[in-house]
Amino acid sequence: MPAELQKDPLSRGQFLWMGALGTFVGAALTIPPAVFVLDPAIKDVVQGKSDVIDEWKELDSVYDIPPGEAVTQLVEFTQKQTYDAGQPAVDRTGTNVRPLTNAVLLSWKDGKVPGVLEGRDEEKPLTQTERHELGRKLNVMSNACAHMGCPTRWSEEEKEIVCPCHGGIYDINGEHTGGPPPHGLWRYAFRITEQGDILVKHQFHIKGSNATRPYVV
Amino acid sequence: MGRDLADWMEERTGIVSLTQKLLYEPVPKRGTWLYTLGSATLFLITLQFLTGILLLFYYVPSADDAWDSIYYVMNDAYFGQYIRGIHFWSANALLLVIGLHMMRTFLSGSYKAPREMNWVVGVFLILIVTILAFSGYALRWDQEGFWAWEVGAKIASYTPFIGGWAITTLLGGDTAGPATLSRVFALHVWLLPAALAPLIGIHLYLLRKHGEYGAPFEYAERLSELRKQQQMRAYDEMEEDEL
Repeated sequence: MPAELQKDPLSRGQFLWMGALGTFVGAALTIPPAVFVLDPAIKDVVQGKSDVIDEWKELDSVYDIPPGEAVTQLVEFTQKQTYDAGQPAVDRTGTNVRPLTNAVLLSWKDGKVPGVLEGRDEEKPLTQTERHELGRKLNVMSNACAHMGCPTRWSEEEKEIVCPCHGGIYDINGEHTGGPPPHGLWRYAFRITEQGDILVKHQFHIKGSNATRPYVV
Repeated sequence: MGRDLADWMEERTGIVSLTQKLLYEPVPKRGTWLYTLGSATLFLITLQFLTGILLLFYYVPSADDAWDSIYYVMNDAYFGQYIRGIHFWSANALLLVIGLHMMRTFLSGSYKAPREMNWVVGVFLILIVTILAFSGYALRWDQEGFWAWEVGAKIASYTPFIGGWAITTLLGGDTAGPATLSRVFALHVWLLPAALAPLIGIHLYLLRKHGEYGAPFEYAERLSELRKQQQMRAYDEMEEDEL
């Protein structure tokens, strides 16, 4: 009887061929659409490409940041997303590169203007050491809340940076002091010129973390 | 295990018997390949729906970006050329296959009673597919597509009495511009497919209701089976009457 049962109309070889063919056809039908739809994710996660062009943008001068508060400044990066993905032919039309407006929060460490700048002549170029010193004292933060990305602002009454959405609170240095955010504010890559201008790049880091993509900024 | 699952589903949804009902349909012995043209049409339309949905992930229906978004699909997106190529070529093949399907129906006399309504539905389907193809052409928003739509609208403007209404409706104004593209997009992506889908359903329903057309002698077995059933039913009724 068992011998009888094993008489399958389909031979082992046929079965394997069917399986192989099925796998091939199945892959041909599903992989291209999936990859097509996941294109932006692949470009970001796998290839590490960003929609924002890698360039320095100028903010105000270090002389303009007041003591004891965080000021907001708008900066426009160049965003090239999907349909204007940096093809030369597309670039030439000039209508498809969209500005990405970011709000940058600027403050001095603990709200104190560094000694380097006290009573200084603004015309005199800053030295390498002075710029390094200023860089250590300057907070260049994204106003996007580290929780869910809502726009935070400096509250004059509370003397802290507050988020309107879920009550995230940060101190003047952007360190998390209350509410749901898991860590402090995202920080921009920045540098200070000899004239004291602040340049920022659309590149981020958090103190004490190796995360590099806020995604919502 | 598989059988248990099938039984479980059948008991709750009737899916197995439904599938059987949908799959098995007697067709005439002669000219079998000619009877696959309808299925080929359905297959190509399904392809249109699927690849069309995928293209919507990148297409931007605005006069500024439409062309650029397609440029992106064709040059930068993974499998972009492949997906759009299928959409484009299966649309072309669709019109060809529909034409052949219609010709087969005509030449084999399949439009005759009681199948006239299915012919009528088919005519509406071919009309919708033609407008779909034409509007898809315009969505590219390149010189060819733009002027094709302009010419099409212009042709519509020669309609007696309502020409002015026709062209302004098709252009979304008295000139071709951004509003035109929005309109073409709405037609191509929403209105026409939404009209197409139920009509396909009706087309298939009517087909299954009357069966594939073929010369009666090819149906001999089927007809004798039917007569036997009718006879049995008549006997049953007679017996019930006697009781």
